[in-house]
Amino acid sequence: MSQASSELMIEARAVEKWYPNGFHALRGADLTVRRGEVVVIMGPSGSGKSTFIRTFNALEDFQKGRISVDGIELSNDLRNIDAVRREVGMVFQQFNLFPHLSVLENLTLAPVLVRRRPKAEVEQQALALLERVGIAEQADKFPGQLSGGQQQRVAIARALCMEPRILLFDEPTSALDPEMVREVLEVMQNLADDDITMVVVTHEVKFARHVAHRVVLMADGVVVEEAEPEVFFTNPSHQRTRRFLDQIL
Amino acid sequence: MKPFLRRLRAELFATPADALLSLGLIAVLSLAAFGFLRWAFTQAQWAVIRVNSTLFAVGRYPVEEQWRLWLLLWLLFAATGLSWGVLRSHPRRDRSGALWPRNDRIAAVLLVVLGLWRPWAMGLSLSIQARWWGLVALLLLVRWLAGRFGRRFGPLGLRLVALMWPVLYLVGMVLISGGLGLVAVSPSEWGGLMLTLLASSFAILLCFPIGVLLALGRRSDLPLLRWGSVLYIEFIRGAPLITLLFLGQNILGFLLPGGLAPDRVWRAAWVLTFFAAAYLAEAVRSGLAAVPRGQFEAARSLGLSYPQALGKVVLPQAMRVALPAMVGQFISLLQDTTLLSLIGLMELLGTARTVMANPAFLGKNAEVYLTLAVLFWCCCAALGLGSRALERRLDPHAVPSAT
Repeated sequence: MSQASSELMIEARAVEKWYPNGFHALRGADLTVRRGEVVVIMGPSGSGKSTFIRTFNALEDFQKGRISVDGIELSNDLRNIDAVRREVGMVFQQFNLFPHLSVLENLTLAPVLVRRRPKAEVEQQALALLERVGIAEQADKFPGQLSGGQQQRVAIARALCMEPRILLFDEPTSALDPEMVREVLEVMQNLADDDITMVVVTHEVKFARHVAHRVVLMADGVVVEEAEPEVFFTNPSHQRTRRFLDQIL
Repeated sequence: MKPFLRRLRAELFATPADALLSLGLIAVLSLAAFGFLRWAFTQAQWAVIRVNSTLFAVGRYPVEEQWRLWLLLWLLFAATGLSWGVLRSHPRRDRSGALWPRNDRIAAVLLVVLGLWRPWAMGLSLSIQARWWGLVALLLLVRWLAGRFGRRFGPLGLRLVALMWPVLYLVGMVLISGGLGLVAVSPSEWGGLMLTLLASSFAILLCFPIGVLLALGRRSDLPLLRWGSVLYIEFIRGAPLITLLFLGQNILGFLLPGGLAPDRVWRAAWVLTFFAAAYLAEAVRSGLAAVPRGQFEAARSLGLSYPQALGKVVLPQAMRVALPAMVGQFISLLQDTTLLSLIGLMELLGTARTVMANPAFLGKNAEVYLTLAVLFWCCCAALGLGSRALERRLDPHAVPSAT
């Protein structure tokens, strides 16, 4: 396992968010992620973990506290939001591949459009990425023709094609059939070995145990526990964590 | 043939009561068909159509300027052949693409038969007959050439074809109305099928962007935009087109300073446009609602701006869903152009009414109305065919067609 540097990639302080219907989803959540670090966020459903990582690339706004990502302060300044989104990749539970574009076009769309890179060069890179996630031969197919596991691997390659400095995963294996979970987790583990900064919301205990540098438990909109995987799973310091682990292990 | 007969028996003659009912229905239908055919071929006097064919086609467009319309027709046929061939030479990457699939062969034969027989049957003069033959020959020749060599130009060819049509539309406008060195022909002299197609294509083309903007406005977070769009859509949808047409004729003159108000034909075309846009907005809205929110979020999280996410990710998918409803709108728009005859414009129905009012053609209503129905049916069928082809091309889940 590689060593995380001390450079801060994400710094979230006392983040609070209310949904328009008044629901208080985040109640002062804190998190710091260093460069090259893999942080896994666990927690019961409704604890705010998805909402929390969605604030990191401004898919959700927040009302109090502050978040800075790769040195960019996330405020209401739209230019900052665009800058952050270019540097932060996201992988969704439902893959969210673009069904009207081929696999290759899914990968090349954003780099060509947003980074204005030459198409031929991006296609080279995209094919290399598809090779890396093990589906190069599917480049010309459409997402609807792939299995769930393949789709999620394409989604990861799509995020990587923008060469992000941080990758966010929002329950990447929750919508997959059990036999496809492993192929996706393997790809994620390879990324972790390559020192990519990752924040992963997941229920996969094995992944958290073996790949994460730190595991975080969220409950009721706050971070309850934050520890190295060994400590988190064997000797957590909070009652709430123990209760959660009793339920999932 | 055997399974066909067996199916017939199972479906129509299973029981004595079924057999009786089927025989009765077949008798009634054949009598009606026979009566119709006998009328069409022995009693009907098609001279009314033959004599007035130019009137039905272009109205009172000045004879000495009609070469411009012929030129436009040549361009249109060539452009159609070019698009047809280029599209066939660029099948989508996941499809098998025969250069002449069965449907295309059928269409080519139909074109030849129609092009050879129709002008002759209408008793057009030989020079005009020859022009129609030339037009069909040109279409098929360009189709063949474009299909054969279209691949050489790569994706650029497709883009050029897409660009060609708007350019051709503008060229057509200039050819029809004059300007740029051509003698101006006032819209009041336009008529017949040409005016019908002109008004409806104008409305179809322009109502599309307006409708999309209205649909986006209706979903906007800005209350002013949202309520403005809702108000517009509901107002237009709440009023019958004919009242809006009369309103347009009367009010636009007062609203705009003297001389700026467009000609009566253009006023009507604009009213049609704004009318269709309101309905189209609802079709587009249903398409937008069918695109999952995650698509927009995925696009934004990749760094695409709002217009980019909309234009490259959300709208293409929404359009595919909305396409059948939109084409339904376009078809009814085409038929709604007949209302223009009520405000005194000489489109197809208006022309027909003046022809029928002519004492020389008294009592020939059936022939005239049947011709009108067939003409409208052809236009609508073309729209429907085009839209189904487009749907197939846009649908990523479709099975490659076997033909």
